[in-house]
Amino acid sequence: MSKTKRIYSMILITLLALTLILTGCAKLPAADTGSGTGTTTPSDSGDSGKTKTDEPAVKLTWYLVGNRQEPDTPKVLEEANKYLKDKLNVTLDLYVFGWGDEYDQKVNTALAAGEPIDIVFTANWAANYNVNAASGYFTELNGYLAKYPKIKEILGEDFLNGSAINGKNYALPTNKEKVHNWGWLLKKDLVEKYNMDVSNIKTIEAIEPLLKIIRENEPEITPICIATMDAPFQLLDWDRISDDDVPGALYPDNRDYKIINHFLAPESIELYKLMRDWANKGYIHPDAATMQNQVELMKSGKYFAASQSLKPGKDAEMTASTGIEWVQVDVTRPVMSNRETTGALLAIPAGSKNPEKAFQFIELLYTDKYLKNLLNYGLENVHYKKISDNVIELIDPANSGYNPGHGWKFGDQFKDYLMSNEDPQKWEKFLAYNDEGLVLNSLGFVFDKTNVETQISSCKNVVQAYYKQLFTGAVEVEPTVEQFAKELKEAGVDELIAEMQRQYDEWRNSK
Amino acid sequence: MGSMVEGKKRSILKVFKRKSIGNRISPVNNILINLFFIMCSIVCIAPILLIIAISFTDEKVLLVKGYNFFPEKYSVKAYDYVITAGDTIWRAYGVSILVTLLGTVLSLMVICLYAYPLSRQSFKYRNFFSFFAYFTMIFGGGLVPWYMVYTQLIPIKNTIWVMIVPYLMNAWYMMIMRTFFKTTIHESIIESAKIDGAGEFRIFFVIVLPLCRAGLATIGLFCTLGYWNDWWLPLMFITEHRLYNIQYLMYQTLNSIQYLVSGSAQFAESAKILAELPSESARMAIAVLSIGPIIFAYPFFQKYFVKGLTIGAVKG
Repeated sequence: MSKTKRIYSMILITLLALTLILTGCAKLPAADTGSGTGTTTPSDSGDSGKTKTDEPAVKLTWYLVGNRQEPDTPKVLEEANKYLKDKLNVTLDLYVFGWGDEYDQKVNTALAAGEPIDIVFTANWAANYNVNAASGYFTELNGYLAKYPKIKEILGEDFLNGSAINGKNYALPTNKEKVHNWGWLLKKDLVEKYNMDVSNIKTIEAIEPLLKIIRENEPEITPICIATMDAPFQLLDWDRISDDDVPGALYPDNRDYKIINHFLAPESIELYKLMRDWANKGYIHPDAATMQNQVELMKSGKYFAASQSLKPGKDAEMTASTGIEWVQVDVTRPVMSNRETTGALLAIPAGSKNPEKAFQFIELLYTDKYLKNLLNYGLENVHYKKISDNVIELIDPANSGYNPGHGWKFGDQFKDYLMSNEDPQKWEKFLAYNDEGLVLNSLGFVFDKTNVETQISSCKNVVQAYYKQLFTGAVEVEPTVEQFAKELKEAGVDELIAEMQRQYDEWRNSK
Repeated sequence: MGSMVEGKKRSILKVFKRKSIGNRISPVNNILINLFFIMCSIVCIAPILLIIAISFTDEKVLLVKGYNFFPEKYSVKAYDYVITAGDTIWRAYGVSILVTLLGTVLSLMVICLYAYPLSRQSFKYRNFFSFFAYFTMIFGGGLVPWYMVYTQLIPIKNTIWVMIVPYLMNAWYMMIMRTFFKTTIHESIIESAKIDGAGEFRIFFVIVLPLCRAGLATIGLFCTLGYWNDWWLPLMFITEHRLYNIQYLMYQTLNSIQYLVSGSAQFAESAKILAELPSESARMAIAVLSIGPIIFAYPFFQKYFVKGLTIGAVKG
């Protein structure tokens, strides 16, 4: 019996080994062509200007993140392909996948398997840009950037360097608002009803008198809308080193180079106390700590103020999408941080067989107004109609066959048409807003989590257990913070901060 | 899921009743047991009823008052939205039904054809092939090799087959089926068939399979559920939107919303996008539509289900 068993196991092992070899074989050609074309420097392939139409057109596969694949995508692509045929002799295959897990899963497995995708959307929040770039899944673009300089001219050295990793660009950021600030959206009808003066609200506390008016006169309305991380805490605008729920941040005003645990910084504790005070006064919903979706709450029309990340025209944008009129109150100073430089990028995967064509196509997204608007708004007179040269109106936006809202995801957003309900000066204001921004010292620094993964996950757990109560003023501040600090210490927050500091200093010295 | 537990409940009740013929349980106990299972059923059914109620609630009322079994204001707007939102839903419905039917039939066939020989004493290599199947239950190849098998070795990515083939063989179902064959089909039946001149295939299709209807129904139901509820294979292999199935469509919507709400999406546009995604009631309407056809599979299998469920456990 034992002999036959041995024979069986031998056969099994052989089979297993065979499978391994077979799959290895299948992988090799793909990987080969991937790295082969990936490392081709632009100078090797000197036939850049080829737009001869007798060659077969190159098909570019493009993965984007969005709400859904718009039903009229084939029609739009047909039009785009006609145009691109003459321009670059390429055709386009565009796929849109849902936010979060769906997009990450699709892109990450395809990248790991070396599939020949030509362009992918990536960011610090989607298809993890830093990790995939570090794993060598993206083509390095510095050579192409030197060869085709237009993108660099449009984006500017500062912004482009901010998205680079160790001086190498693996992806191209969208040209849009390059800074962010925080503030409030206030319900417009109430602001007008009580004749509120919102011009001098420059601190978090400054809004309190308005909340008081609402609390005293509008029993149906909750003064402040808080859900999960969307809380006034964000108005402190900590320059976070890692994720939202990981301790470790710099002050957002370049005052020093010391990374601190921002959840326990004096400013944060002051804010927790203020929230406790507001909760006691009834400005915050008693169940705020368990609420999930700030935007849904805002839609209900039962809230007066919501803390939001702002940019020029945010109030008009939210008015259009929530159906409730808002007034925007800017509180914090605009800053340019890693959040923006790696907020929306296009990368060329190493598996792409035509990286140069892909790059030329991406360049068109920055320079070609017609193409950019075609992909963003669809076909003229089918999906939108022009009101004037640069202003359009969507045709039946609720049931439109093509209304993907891609504007900020690629290329040069300043080339987009404006909607008729938008400020005609929108792009000018964006540019001014960008200039106003303070460039943070940490711009371009990428934290490598590998050494402290355990500490990060235990700290995250602790933060997840405490932040909601503190952000919404649901608990007494002193004892909770004490307990919070104790548990964070046990979770290894000190080692985590020390590692962040070490990497940050190293990066700063090498600059 | 609720009705599956309900099926279990009924089966257990039946067992109780049968026992009580000779050895009657006291009326008090009887009431208590009934109450207990009524509670269980309510716990299972209530969430489904709530989902249905939400899907018929007016959006505004939902935002202001929250969930309610008896909404203040009814509305069919959510269904209107879902049904008129292009042919995406109907197409996905079609894909789901096709995959489920085709998958269940093929999968049953593969499982039975593997399990039956293993149940026969006269099959010499049955231990090896049992181990061969068992081995896959313990060791897997890992995600990326698995992915590459269906994209490069057998290039069926972006076809309907990729949602069927990976689930064709299931070692666990195969073992249940093998035990069922072993216990239901006595060697002497096969012998007598042989004496009457039947070949192996004839024995299998004409004698064995009809005798094993209960087992087939049970495994068939598992397969049906597996195929119907699957969103993982489309997530991995389908990039063409016309091949999305209904579960995947739902997964995509819910997952997007959850992700954008979680606050890990650090970009300025997230609030705007959230506001434009389908409303709460529309999501519930999709959920209601997705449980639709599969609920009709239960009564069909019910007859065999009670008997089938006991195969693995009691007789095993």
